[in-house]
Amino acid sequence: MIDCSHYRRASLAEPQSADPELLAHRDQCAPCAEFTERLVRFEARLASAMRLELGAPAGGAGKVVPLRAAAARVAGRRDRLRPRWVALAASMLVAVGVAGLLWLAVPRSSLADAVVAHMAGEPQAWLSNEAVPASRLSEAIRDAHLTLRTDAGVVSYAASCEFRGFHVPHLVVQDASGPVTVMVLVHESARATVNFDEQGYRGVIRAVPGHGAIAVLTRNRALSGSDVERIAARVQDAIEWTS
Amino acid sequence: MRAQVGEEQKHARFQALCQSLRPDLLRFAVWLSRDRALAEDVVQETLLRAWKARDSLQDEKAAKPWFLTIVRREYARTFERKRLPTVDLDDLVASEEPSLGTADEQNLEELRLAIFKLPDEYREPLVLQVLMGCTTAEIGAQLNLSTPAVLTRLFRARRRLRGLCGEDTTLDPEE
Repeated sequence: MIDCSHYRRASLAEPQSADPELLAHRDQCAPCAEFTERLVRFEARLASAMRLELGAPAGGAGKVVPLRAAAARVAGRRDRLRPRWVALAASMLVAVGVAGLLWLAVPRSSLADAVVAHMAGEPQAWLSNEAVPASRLSEAIRDAHLTLRTDAGVVSYAASCEFRGFHVPHLVVQDASGPVTVMVLVHESARATVNFDEQGYRGVIRAVPGHGAIAVLTRNRALSGSDVERIAARVQDAIEWTS
Repeated sequence: MRAQVGEEQKHARFQALCQSLRPDLLRFAVWLSRDRALAEDVVQETLLRAWKARDSLQDEKAAKPWFLTIVRREYARTFERKRLPTVDLDDLVASEEPSLGTADEQNLEELRLAIFKLPDEYREPLVLQVLMGCTTAEIGAQLNLSTPAVLTRLFRARRRLRGLCGEDTTLDPEE
């Protein structure tokens, strides 16, 4: 049996811990439950604070120059025996390739950032694995004009959340691999599938033609990006649009 | 021909992986170095080294700790190469201000300043846990610490942080 001091020390070290002993103590100790509530709020702020919005590179395009030089060095070292123009062309290709990689990375979808930030603000969504009442699910998805077939899995959390100025369905579906969060973003547009791995969440945003986008996230570190894509496709298939 | 296509797919997959991880790697480097420009250099070097060593990454699931290790190593190299100037924390937060957004940011800025004020030994495991989503075991592996040592550092980090940013700590346990 743990005491309050043990509980609070453990919680400050690992606020997301699902240790049954800790949860049992919290459920029967009002001061520790209050302590946890405050800590959850603090954690949401802490997560937001750490997600620095680092848009454009400091110093602008000039920051690519050292990289280009470094890439050219790499290419140069690979094969010093080739004619000079081949080495130059190769180094330029490497430089363009790596610079292109960074260019692709910088304007990365802020939609993924917003989804992750939203998740961090609702840690309670992961607490239950029991099915929510059908009425709550209906209410959560009503404005998105959709229904969810039962083959999507057990829905253990359903809320209509404000997200970038609109109310959107925020669901947690129990997959065989564990809980996954699903956000149906009918007001957003996504041109292509975006994978992301941030703040402990691995996820994907998929374009849904005519219905915006769908975001699917998991905290299961054992899943790869392609695993998450498969789960997202399955959940998306279980959605039936009513308009 | 088939081998070439397979290689191209592998490269594309690796690029996508870098693309998905880069934002958090950059954030991690900023929290580590407390210097935006240095962090960008560290991440650029990290991606370059990762690209060169991409064949050694056998399992995509192990990508994050692999990249984190390279970031930490690259950051450590900056100390080998040169002596870094001391950073004034108030100036640092002020200089980051335009990138921190506008609405409802005052509290977050105070919290960020408090995070920067934490000693490295507490700030790094906290950032690994909260920002990078690392488990205690993963943090231990990165920092070469035992699990109890990681938990102690995380406990102290949060306790200090909450005190620094004026949280009500009356219910917090003593160290």
